[in-house]
Amino acid sequence: MEMRIIKDVLGASVLGGEDRLGESVEHIYASDLMSDVLAFGKPYSMLLTGLATQQAVISAHMAEFKGVVFIRGKKPKDGAEQFARDNQLVLLSTDLDMFDACARLDESWKKEHHALEKGATEYKREEILLSRELCINGNDFTNAGLVSTQVKSILKKIGLDPKLVRRVAISTYEGEMNVVMHAKSARVNLSITPKLIEVVIDDEGKGIPDVQQAMEEGFTTATEEMRAMGFGSGMGLPNIRKNSDELEVSSEVDKGTKVQMRFFI
Amino acid sequence: MSECRHQWNMTNVRFGFVAFEKCFHCSGVRTFFSKEESPHLGEAYREEEHFWSRVENAQSLRFDLVCSECGRVEDYTELMGLLHCTGCLPECEVEILQQKLEKEKTWLVVAFGHLPPGSDEPFSPEKMKILTDHFNQRRDTSRSRIRVVSFSLIKDFTVCKGEFIHDVGMLSQEPPAERKPLF
Amino acid sequence: MTINELVGSVGLKPLSTFEDRDISGVFVSDMVSDVMAGAKSGNLWLTIQTHKSVIPAANLVDVSAVIITGGKEIPQETVELASKYSIAVLSSELPTFELVGKLYELGLGK
Repeated sequence: MEMRIIKDVLGASVLGGEDRLGESVEHIYASDLMSDVLAFGKPYSMLLTGLATQQAVISAHMAEFKGVVFIRGKKPKDGAEQFARDNQLVLLSTDLDMFDACARLDESWKKEHHALEKGATEYKREEILLSRELCINGNDFTNAGLVSTQVKSILKKIGLDPKLVRRVAISTYEGEMNVVMHAKSARVNLSITPKLIEVVIDDEGKGIPDVQQAMEEGFTTATEEMRAMGFGSGMGLPNIRKNSDELEVSSEVDKGTKVQMRFFI
Repeated sequence: MSECRHQWNMTNVRFGFVAFEKCFHCSGVRTFFSKEESPHLGEAYREEEHFWSRVENAQSLRFDLVCSECGRVEDYTELMGLLHCTGCLPECEVEILQQKLEKEKTWLVVAFGHLPPGSDEPFSPEKMKILTDHFNQRRDTSRSRIRVVSFSLIKDFTVCKGEFIHDVGMLSQEPPAERKPLF
Repeated sequence: MTINELVGSVGLKPLSTFEDRDISGVFVSDMVSDVMAGAKSGNLWLTIQTHKSVIPAANLVDVSAVIITGGKEIPQETVELASKYSIAVLSSELPTFELVGKLYELGLGK
């Protein structure tokens, strides 16, 4: 469905990406929980959400969505609009609530069911070799997500398959959040060869006592208290493993953790 | 002038964290409301004879009430959040009252204010009544009712396991457990 | 339409023990703060939140039922707390967006 149609159906105002309204999305995803968007959102979707923060826009970008619709007349904070502009996301705002917005889109979706166009364009792949070093600061929640955004835009510029780019972006994002939440700082090395992309996140921090355990689904170092607060839980490693082709984690307690992930092109 | 039969609606809903600070020196506990996106537990700092250290951040949400008939705004600056009692301490006044009210199909909610509690009750009876009215106006009271009580009924803050009503997981980046495939 | 009628017509799985009642309108949100501010008595609440702290909020604003979408696994403590308040907790395999389409076809919108 063309994003222009979404805008018309919802009577939405355009907050950003006017020039991209002609592009199409393949799915609609309705959620306010960004962890859910990262885990289950499909590429080329439009996100409908009531969470009007920069994290919503960053998560949509990581999950390779094409745009975000804020419901109930919500408008995101300034940072979000700037981020969307820099990363070519369409941002809309509608006064409808989530139920009405979904109901109306579902109706028009069914009408034009057959006319679904692939939003993906053919990307040209060039043989290049590239290496970059980036830094993440622990506890810096304001800038959390920016390193993975940089990695993503580098890969996109090269013209790699968007699905691959998405896997790298999500894995790097999970790694970056681990550093922000659990470590002091980290160096990130991105290197690209004609055959693979490698991201190495080398942090200085408290380390992981039992790496094997941390790789298991559902394992978390967070206390009951932290979980009740709704953040900081989990190490994100299972999600990195799911998205990468090869993953190596080594750690020394009170020194730091090194996460190496590889993605075959 | 005729009295307005107020119809209360929530307004100015904002979320954040109730930050609990403890002094090593005097063992006192105090709170403030933090709007940081991701607050952390800080190192100790000195303030006169106290050494405060942030020991807990409990996510919460606050709001004011506005009357849709006359436009009167009742602000709740002293309200840190609404607490759901988990019944952790049988001799706590909240739990005793809750047990009693449950038989009448009335559910209890605790209005939480700032710590340390001063000598004066922070919530006037009128404010408590307005909060209670608000929730009852919104429900089918033939089935059940709500009663809002002050946190001064809590017997011991240091052991209270009450839970603030809050947005769960809004800041979590952890992917949830795998869900079953649809097809 | 009542909760029991709805359960049969869109394939929901009831988990808690509840008193059947009429449904009026639907509220879709994963944010407890939005529900606290905007949901109305008798609303169905659609969410992907499974944490038990959704239940006190649901009770406070008197929603008729909480439908947890996306086939999520629901903790037992959530179900138990809901049963205490006689609030229906229903599970749906469909994602939120698709379930809204079905509820709308049943005329549950306005």
